[in-house]
Amino acid sequence: MLIERARSGDDTALDLLVRRHHASAYRVALSITRRDDVAQDVVQDAFIKAFGALGGFRGDASFRTWMMTITANEARATLRKRGRWSESAIDDVGPIAADEPDPAEQAVSGHESARARTLLETLPEKQRLSVSLRIDDGLSFREIGEAIGSSEGAARVNYFHGIRRLRELME
Amino acid sequence: MSQTECGTIREYLPDFAAGRLGTDQVGAVEAHLPSCAECRAEFELIQMLLDAPPVVPERLADSVVSVVRTSRRSGRRPWWGISAAAVAAIALGIGVSTDRAGNVAGPVPEFASEADEGEAWLSDDGLLAGAPSIDGLSDEALLELLEELSEEGAA
Ligand SMILES: [Zn+2]
Repeated sequence: MLIERARSGDDTALDLLVRRHHASAYRVALSITRRDDVAQDVVQDAFIKAFGALGGFRGDASFRTWMMTITANEARATLRKRGRWSESAIDDVGPIAADEPDPAEQAVSGHESARARTLLETLPEKQRLSVSLRIDDGLSFREIGEAIGSSEGAARVNYFHGIRRLRELME
Repeated sequence: MSQTECGTIREYLPDFAAGRLGTDQVGAVEAHLPSCAECRAEFELIQMLLDAPPVVPERLADSVVSVVRTSRRSGRRPWWGISAAAVAAIALGIGVSTDRAGNVAGPVPEFASEADEGEAWLSDDGLLAGAPSIDGLSDEALLELLEELSEEGAA
């Protein structure tokens, strides 16, 4: 299949895998890093790592979930590196960067949909990631568990807590 | 409204809102929503989120393709034939990272705590595609596309 072709070094197969999965990978990276530029770097590195490891990837497993897992790990590793390297890193990895406008305030004037999306970003990481992966990417709770490094049950709980919190924030 | 019924419906709502749900389940959701304000409110929230998806940078796919190809050609990373254990380590986030001075920072166990090697592979791709276009294609359809593209390339 496609993975086999990619594994044998077929450039076109690799390109197709990128085009098929880059958007999901980007959303995961963005949800964790909350920065577009950092998220784009994360996605590049994640694909390089994933393709570098394709030789051992089992064709019957889900490439998508595997890719999401590698991306989430890469995003967290990047945040850790930035934490060590950058003096302003605490702002970068905190729940909301101190110099950014409060999303809750910022969102009041905006469209309800945009407001919901902005408020989603204020939730704890596993909650916002579970909500995003379930809604934006249609991942099952089992797949989300794999991607965020928790059990299926924990992914379900994170999703429903996130949804409940978001409803409270929207009121 | 029974909690069991709401529980089932709430599980369906994301796929229902995104048009990813099977016919039988769609019927169940459509029958439930008019009489349940709680599930309706949750459905509306999910719809709002779907109405404002994060914007994926237009040129990201191209830049990833380019970086991947460059990385492959330069051979600065091992390409094929990496061990299954190393693959599992990458997937589970077990890595040894170094800082700028080259000091080993130690293993990063965060992801390894709850998933074991076996779990990382137990998954199916399902029918739950993300964005349209290539995302929505089956492997078979993608392979056909591949064939077409290689024929074009050869012509
Ligand atoms: Zn209900």
